[in-house]
Amino acid sequence: MNKSILYIIGTILIVLVAGTVLIKGNGDSGGNAIVGGSGGDVQKIVLGIKDYNYYPNTVTVKVNKPVSISLDSTVSGCYRSFTIRDFGINKYLKTPKDTVEFTPTKKGTYRFACSMGMGTGTLVVE
Amino acid sequence: MTFKEFNKSLAEDGAEGELVKTVFVSLATSFVVLAILYIFKLKYIENFIPKYGFYLFFAILSYSLILPSIRHVRAYKELPCMAGMMIGMTMGMISGFLAGFFVASTNGMFIGSVFGMLVGIVFGVLTGKCCGIMGVMEGIMSGFMGGLMGGMTSIMLLNDNLKATGVIVFIISAVILIGLNYLIHKETREIERRHRDSNLFIISWSFALTVITVVLMVFGPRSSLFQ
Repeated sequence: MNKSILYIIGTILIVLVAGTVLIKGNGDSGGNAIVGGSGGDVQKIVLGIKDYNYYPNTVTVKVNKPVSISLDSTVSGCYRSFTIRDFGINKYLKTPKDTVEFTPTKKGTYRFACSMGMGTGTLVVE
Repeated sequence: MTFKEFNKSLAEDGAEGELVKTVFVSLATSFVVLAILYIFKLKYIENFIPKYGFYLFFAILSYSLILPSIRHVRAYKELPCMAGMMIGMTMGMISGFLAGFFVASTNGMFIGSVFGMLVGIVFGVLTGKCCGIMGVMEGIMSGFMGGLMGGMTSIMLLNDNLKATGVIVFIISAVILIGLNYLIHKETREIERRHRDSNLFIISWSFALTVITVVLMVFGPRSSLFQ
């Protein structure tokens, strides 16, 4: 058999084996949350902008209790596209009345950010 | 000189005949190195494969497509000025973009861009020098641009189908690099081969790139968004 064909077959085999092993699972692992969860005492958080970043920059919430986050009128541009990667939250909050609701089910420290990563903050679940 | 003839030359002896072999050697080296690192160190890192597997896989695939082009250019040493500039620009841009894109996906824009620029400039200069200072300048400029763009694109797509974009970016880059090999083949019809790199050249580069990428992704500094 031609040498090149052997190399091509070898290359395809390597890619298939390595791909099967390496490409699995979700890279955004970390936190757990029930998005849209409600009931019980809702922990309401309103974020604004200060020094070109979300304010307050660190928010502490209680585990297994619903959280509702909204952005006040000082927040504009891409900062209104609010994300918490660990919880799979990615929502454009067009007005201060729009909210993101979820229930964190695991303690830990998570990052929240705008969709471009320009503004970031920390959500502490305890 | 048609693409069919180029395809045929891949199975023959000569610089073009070494391209497929180079892809194989690079992939084999990189995945063996990754497997060794995984057995001794990486398997103890929580969520290693779900977190880094996809990006490492495509970074290694990217290196295995970049290195054959470098070997191809080095085989002829000197090329016409326009072709050399095109080669320097393509190599700098594609290698910088891919390296920057995949590293920034796990570490943030700063470290991704710096690594992308470094890889892009080194490969841009290595290949662009085949036509002198113009190719070298082109390689530096495109490496710098590609590295920054790769890191930036990755961060901008972080919450919007980043993995799918990674696959699309890789496929487009692969097509461009195959086109570049065809261009080199066309431009060197009347040029004698002047240099022969051993497989050690490819093994060394694959080893170095894989180790640096793994170390950066897993243990390297990262921006606040990834902490």
